Amino acid sequence: MSVPLATKGLAAATPSFQIANAWHVVPWALALVFYFTAGGYLSLGTHVLIMILFTLSLDLALGVAGIITLGHAAFFGFGAYAAGILAARLSNDPLLGLAVATLLTGLFGALVGMLILHTAGVTLMMLTLAISALLAEFANQAHWLTGGDDGLQVGRMAPLFGLFRFDLWGHTAYLYALAVLFLWSLAAWRIMRSPFGRSLDGIRQNPRRMRAIGTPVWRRLVVAYGLSAAMAGTAGALEAQTTRAVGLGALGVLASGTVLVMLILGGTRRTYGAFVGATVYVVVQDVAAQIDPFRWMFVVGILLVAVVLFLENGLMGLPEAARRVLRGSRSRSGGR
Amino acid sequence: MLDVTILLDGLAYGMVLFIISVGLTVTMGLMRIVNLAHGAFAMIGGYFATMLLGAGLPFFAAALLAAVAVGIVGAAVELTIYRPLYRKGELAQALMTFGLTFVVIAALTTVFGTGIKPLPIPPALNGVIDIGFRTYPTYRLFLVAVGLVLALLLWLLIDRTSFGARLRAAVDNPRMARAVGIDVNLLFTVTFAGGCALAAFGSVIGAALLPLEPYYALRYLVLFLVIVGVGGIGNFKGSFVAAILLGIIDTGGKFLLPQASAYLFYGAVIILLLLCPHGLLPAKSAA
Amino acid sequence: MKTLRLLALCAAGLMWAMATVASAETVKVGVIATFSGPFARWGEQFQQAIKVYQKQHGESVNGNTIEVVYRDDGGPDPARAKQLAEELILREKVQFLGGFVFTPNALSVADIVTEAKMPTVIFNASTAIVVRKSPYFVRVSQTIPQVTVEIAKWAAKNDFKRIITAVTDYAPGYDAETYFVKTFKAGGGEILESIRIPLATTDFSPFYERVLQQKPDALFIFGPGGPPTVGMINTWASRLKPAGIKLLGTAETQEIDLPKVGPAALGVVTAFHYTETVDNPLNKTLWADLTTMFGKNTVPDLSSVAAYDGMELIYRAVAKFGPRPTGDQAIGFWRGMAFDSPRGPIKIDEKTRDIIQNVYLRKVEERDGKLVNINFETIPMVRDPWKDEHPG
Repeated sequence: MSVPLATKGLAAATPSFQIANAWHVVPWALALVFYFTAGGYLSLGTHVLIMILFTLSLDLALGVAGIITLGHAAFFGFGAYAAGILAARLSNDPLLGLAVATLLTGLFGALVGMLILHTAGVTLMMLTLAISALLAEFANQAHWLTGGDDGLQVGRMAPLFGLFRFDLWGHTAYLYALAVLFLWSLAAWRIMRSPFGRSLDGIRQNPRRMRAIGTPVWRRLVVAYGLSAAMAGTAGALEAQTTRAVGLGALGVLASGTVLVMLILGGTRRTYGAFVGATVYVVVQDVAAQIDPFRWMFVVGILLVAVVLFLENGLMGLPEAARRVLRGSRSRSGGR
Repeated sequence: MLDVTILLDGLAYGMVLFIISVGLTVTMGLMRIVNLAHGAFAMIGGYFATMLLGAGLPFFAAALLAAVAVGIVGAAVELTIYRPLYRKGELAQALMTFGLTFVVIAALTTVFGTGIKPLPIPPALNGVIDIGFRTYPTYRLFLVAVGLVLALLLWLLIDRTSFGARLRAAVDNPRMARAVGIDVNLLFTVTFAGGCALAAFGSVIGAALLPLEPYYALRYLVLFLVIVGVGGIGNFKGSFVAAILLGIIDTGGKFLLPQASAYLFYGAVIILLLLCPHGLLPAKSAA
Repeated sequence: MKTLRLLALCAAGLMWAMATVASAETVKVGVIATFSGPFARWGEQFQQAIKVYQKQHGESVNGNTIEVVYRDDGGPDPARAKQLAEELILREKVQFLGGFVFTPNALSVADIVTEAKMPTVIFNASTAIVVRKSPYFVRVSQTIPQVTVEIAKWAAKNDFKRIITAVTDYAPGYDAETYFVKTFKAGGGEILESIRIPLATTDFSPFYERVLQQKPDALFIFGPGGPPTVGMINTWASRLKPAGIKLLGTAETQEIDLPKVGPAALGVVTAFHYTETVDNPLNKTLWADLTTMFGKNTVPDLSSVAAYDGMELIYRAVAKFGPRPTGDQAIGFWRGMAFDSPRGPIKIDEKTRDIIQNVYLRKVEERDGKLVNINFETIPMVRDPWKDEHPG
């Protein structure tokens, strides 16, 4: 009958939350261990956490809702500049800045979404690209607001909760970013598993069919895009508050391309795809650039090519690929 | 008379964009593959041509030879690493071709260094021509001419030859095409090679406008993607019109309103895309 | 007994030898610059000049090895620059920081440099305010106002009455525009228009058509180096030169880009602090060593001499204070220091820690079949005008 088929279809489309609950502790535990052992690499770690959040936001828009966007850095940058300008001019309370930046970016995302989400495919992609390019140009020209090409210097943030000073070496910043990432991850996973998230899944796979069963496709997409933008805005705000500097590069095409790479590298619609992808990319690039600042692109490029050629759906597919290889070799040696 | 100059300028600029991105509209459109490495192929062609010019070859010979060479490289790459991509989906294609671009940039930096590689245009093209009411740089007129000839040849090829017909069939319905005996795989390889060759050719003759350096592949990628996107994937006539239109709007706008020049190009792109979300010219098939 | 005493003597001797060797320490210098992406040229030039310096002066000072550690910031990326600075300071335990191509990158590390009291030599970042942001910043490159003021003054004195400025649309461009316009007007000239050209522009013809319409005596340009600059000069040559409009600039005709422009550049007048043809022994050996070590087409540029002189500062500090100088010692030592550079005589301003140097007025000419800049006037020991106007 059609009902079992339908549920099977949905099950197949559900992000694979197959990891046993106990294992969920591992990545967060690792993050805490890193805090205590990192030494001079703490700010790199904070950057990784922020990139994970950014990549996760893209997973919501692209991975789940299927909105092809080459301009997601527009929201990251928007959030960063919003938080930075807020801190510089109004209030340097970090949580207030974070909340306002997130809200503003979410609204901005929803507005942009309303403008462009009736299109699809390459047209949509180009529109996202063009909008982020316009935003970048505006940020460059609005020197009085954003510092333009010189970047925005954000003053020292007020202590978190009035208690935890933002020390210069990034201790508070790291835990702050980790906590925000944790909260947003919970929210994102909730969203992806909810009926709303499931409907986004359906929209990604077949918008026509979803319309046929009465789903308000465009409205759902706009909400998803707005949520994704808000999340990206939080990531940007975190970066502005922890590094206390915002540059035009935060908005640029290369940043949008990079986050796309990080997501695909890790694997879309995987619980920890964004985590793995962002971490691997940032770390590999950092290490490669340390070894050879001129030629790190070589290493990263080969990594990307290899991952695509040998793995299905990114690095999160590695254990499955390994299992397949092992099973294959076992059945061969098992004698036939 | 001023308007004619600006029009010519916009036309010339649009022609360069068209010449370089038409290869991308062929690969992305016809083969439906997200090929972010397009700029890299163009760049390889440019560097190869500088080597040929250094060996004493005349300009056009170098341009054609570089195009052929890159075409062969493109075919080889297609057969090996692009083939598995067709079934992997756009995201995987984007990732791999992006990685490929990184590799090419790093490789060319290692071999040629980080600076601009001069690709001198022949002295005959370097001067100015009297077009009646003023003198105008010969090079730009040359670009317009080449662009028109190329557009014409491609149109004839795709619309008027049996190769073109087979290509359009293979794109519209690969299964059916195979069923009637068209070798779709071979067609795709040849087309991809052709797209890369076009890119290389474009980068050589356009090098005075878009100088050659290792970051070329990424620096102008957005430009190529936009032309293809606005024109409509697979619609080479559309990309011709898109390139010309954007070239003229951008150039004309910069002349009339230089304060707004930063916003003109992408502003025009957004407006065009919102007005014609299915491409500037409706695409029924490859042409 | 005798054997034991001999053994003890050997042990003591060994320990003494080890102690001597151990007291010769490694001095790490962290260079944060751009080695990849569209601005990779900067990092490459820094590295080449540093290698030449170390070949000429040896890799150690009084037995202390000077080890240079390079980190790529990828371009203007203040967050990344800050992260790299932290790593270098905390992890690599560098004694000096150097590099910084872009102003936002320099600005973003100011607070940790101050907290760590890390003597930092800026090899480029040319916005005037940079050195004020930390008492541990010292600049060996140039400021944009410093060189721009001189070309504007020259233009005002030399029969240029009406000028149009066309600068790249970003902060350094605005700096150049502000100071050229201000100085030229003060000299009695008229600015017809100030055009700002987007950074991503590849086709400059529409802007130049505007210039052609207004027929100024000259066009002043400011470009970011690389492909856009080449385009700006080429388009001038094809459109405006035939109409008799002259071209003025600062860094645009550096020899590294000149061959890409070609004979079109002949006659362009610029003001800059480093002319490759300047005749002094340091410059000659720099050239010679660069071409020997890196190929005959290697050309020193402003980035090369800045890195070279930066190393000179560092070597002198280590020579004076040993392998572990404090930030205060180094900065105090460098203030007011005057020495010879391949570009000519330079001095670190006592109060502002910024660079004081000659600015040369030069013209592009052909010598031995090559296009070069030839100095025709020298303005000695120019200070940064912005600092004088905005006393901190």
